[in-house]
Amino acid sequence: MMAAFDILAFGACSFVAVAGALGMATTMSMFRSGIFLMASFIGVAGLFILLSADLIGLLQVMMYIGGFLVMILFMVLVMHDPGGAMMAGMELSPLERWFSKGLVPRDEATSAGQDDPASGEGRSHAGNRHEGHAMPHGEGRHGHARDHGGGAMPHGAHGGHAEHRHADHQHGDGGHGGMDMSMVTPVRPLAAWLAAAAGVVLVGMLFLRPAWPVTDAVPDPDSARRVGNLLMDKYMVAFEGAGFLILIGIFGAVLLARPSTHPDDPSRAAKAAVDAKPEAIRDDRLAPLAEAGGAPEPEHHGSHHGHEDHVG
Amino acid sequence: MGVAAALAVLGALLGGAALTLAVEHAFVRIDQEAGPARHTELRHNLQLPNADRWLLPAGPVVALAGVALAMVVLPLGPGLIGRDLGIGLFYVIVVVDFVVLGLALAGWGANTPEGVEACYRIVAQLVAYVVPLGLAYVGVIMMARSLSTVVVVDAQRGLWFVVLQPLGFLLYVVTGLMQSYRAPFLEPFAASLGGGVLGVVGGWSALVWRVALAGVLLVVAAVGAVLYLGGSSGPWLPGWAWMLAKTYGLMALMLGLGRLVRPLSTAETLALSWKILIPLGLVNVLLVGGLILLGVGPGA
Amino acid sequence: MTVPLTAYLVVAALLFAIGVYTVVAQRSAVMVLMGVEVLLNAIGLNVVAFWRFTAPTDYSAQVLAILVVTVGAIEMAIGLALVLLLYRQRRTVEVDAYTDLNG
Repeated sequence: MMAAFDILAFGACSFVAVAGALGMATTMSMFRSGIFLMASFIGVAGLFILLSADLIGLLQVMMYIGGFLVMILFMVLVMHDPGGAMMAGMELSPLERWFSKGLVPRDEATSAGQDDPASGEGRSHAGNRHEGHAMPHGEGRHGHARDHGGGAMPHGAHGGHAEHRHADHQHGDGGHGGMDMSMVTPVRPLAAWLAAAAGVVLVGMLFLRPAWPVTDAVPDPDSARRVGNLLMDKYMVAFEGAGFLILIGIFGAVLLARPSTHPDDPSRAAKAAVDAKPEAIRDDRLAPLAEAGGAPEPEHHGSHHGHEDHVG
Repeated sequence: MGVAAALAVLGALLGGAALTLAVEHAFVRIDQEAGPARHTELRHNLQLPNADRWLLPAGPVVALAGVALAMVVLPLGPGLIGRDLGIGLFYVIVVVDFVVLGLALAGWGANTPEGVEACYRIVAQLVAYVVPLGLAYVGVIMMARSLSTVVVVDAQRGLWFVVLQPLGFLLYVVTGLMQSYRAPFLEPFAASLGGGVLGVVGGWSALVWRVALAGVLLVVAAVGAVLYLGGSSGPWLPGWAWMLAKTYGLMALMLGLGRLVRPLSTAETLALSWKILIPLGLVNVLLVGGLILLGVGPGA
Repeated sequence: MTVPLTAYLVVAALLFAIGVYTVVAQRSAVMVLMGVEVLLNAIGLNVVAFWRFTAPTDYSAQVLAILVVTVGAIEMAIGLALVLLLYRQRRTVEVDAYTDLNG
């Protein structure tokens, strides 16, 4: 009975891990890509727990959920089509179409006509409502991408059954005035073969050399204590070094991301906005006491460039 | 963990969430308060026009799953625990992160400008609370020498940790409010965002959100009671009665103190976390280390 | 252990292959970073699987896994800072626009 549970748990966790990674690589929506990656890491954490390394498993989940949420926010900030809306209306291979199910294709010109059968009926009149709204997902700075109307986009390749196109990697190129909206580089076929080769070589090596000294010993259930002892005892240098590395990394990242001090640099315009004071609690008798604080402003030393004409 | 234990844990969650709503009624003005304490009407399910079909419904489910999983390691009484994991406290921090993940999914899944902005604010608050919360836990773990909730409760038989580590307790109260998205850290649910994630829910989602967000406040207060107030130990009443009293007392304290401060914007919350809470947390760890070296605290 | 060591290593190999595909084929620099994280994860799985089956009493493997996770997180942080800087200059995160950083 326990054996069946073991095998079932292993199967489920490894399926989640591999399917999550595959989803990350193929889905058209950047946000979903991040979520698939999180799911993959949770699958691997499940495998760690099955391997009795529960501390590492939980560590993995804790660090990567927070980390990937922040990384997703970065992606949404810098990418043209983080929601996958513009890409969802284009030709996709079946694998990509499967992992992009449920995305609302954002087709500019006409609307509900091109219904994508793979997307189900969750979206009604997707096209019509967009005209007046700001589009938070598909928003780019490239308005010209939308000027080429829906006619140029290959809606003719009706959703779910596009050919698997290894050769054609310029998705929707003809309709976008040269701005290639493809998510993958032109070396995609090479990459796919490379990955397949790497997979085959690694798995082949596994089956041809199975002579590892597998023991039957059982690990100590209190792994946290043992790992802690090792970190403080035998691996103290590595531990302190990792701490130092984290410190340097934080300094470096903050330093790199500060707005430039050059007055013409466009990043100067992207000062962090300080919110207007949020709405107060009704009849808040302690409000006068809370006025003493103030919204802290982001410091950037570049500001003294602007003040150099002040004297004294 | 048997099926009976699982059902008992879920029952405790639902009962606790109902009691939490009652306590909130007593301490906040439900109709005027923003955020999870606002009275979310149970109305028809709203059909958002461009909602992401997978991510939007996944939000409340993930949040509820996170809270239910966290309830498993809470010692509601001596012997009344779902499963005593050796790394219980670490597990609780990890699992309550799922609530934030659920809120972020729902914010993005709504596919509206307000929803996406709410998603950003929610994740910013996660970034703000997670390190000081860990530092608040670390002081207790250092003194109790174990990550298991049962051992932490046992280690406070002599003296509650709130007496030995008042700074850590204060840190926990503040970051607990951040973690459960209550006043004064309500910016993700501001009226300028139309109520954020909770402004566009209806139907079964609204019900699940209510349970999940009341549940996260319950879990935060219960873990605080375990960490700093000695859990289920106490002289005359049975263990579970003490745990109940301490949990809801701490919850009332947190809600009351939170109401005294004006709502903080997200930038102010982050500044508070980085400039004040993290240094205080490090000072706390230093102080606790000094106390342990001086021999104060539970033995060995 | 009913599930043999080879099974875990096969899963790690598959993850590694998918990571290689992502790093080589994706056009956005942030996606490339995500692919690198998948590669590191596959490595961590390998290390822990070997630990469990061949030397479960020596916890050094878990220390290595912790350090790998730590260094991976830092690398992601610095990588994202660099991507942000490059984005400010070139208004795009596509790696095709960064080819002049070669050599």
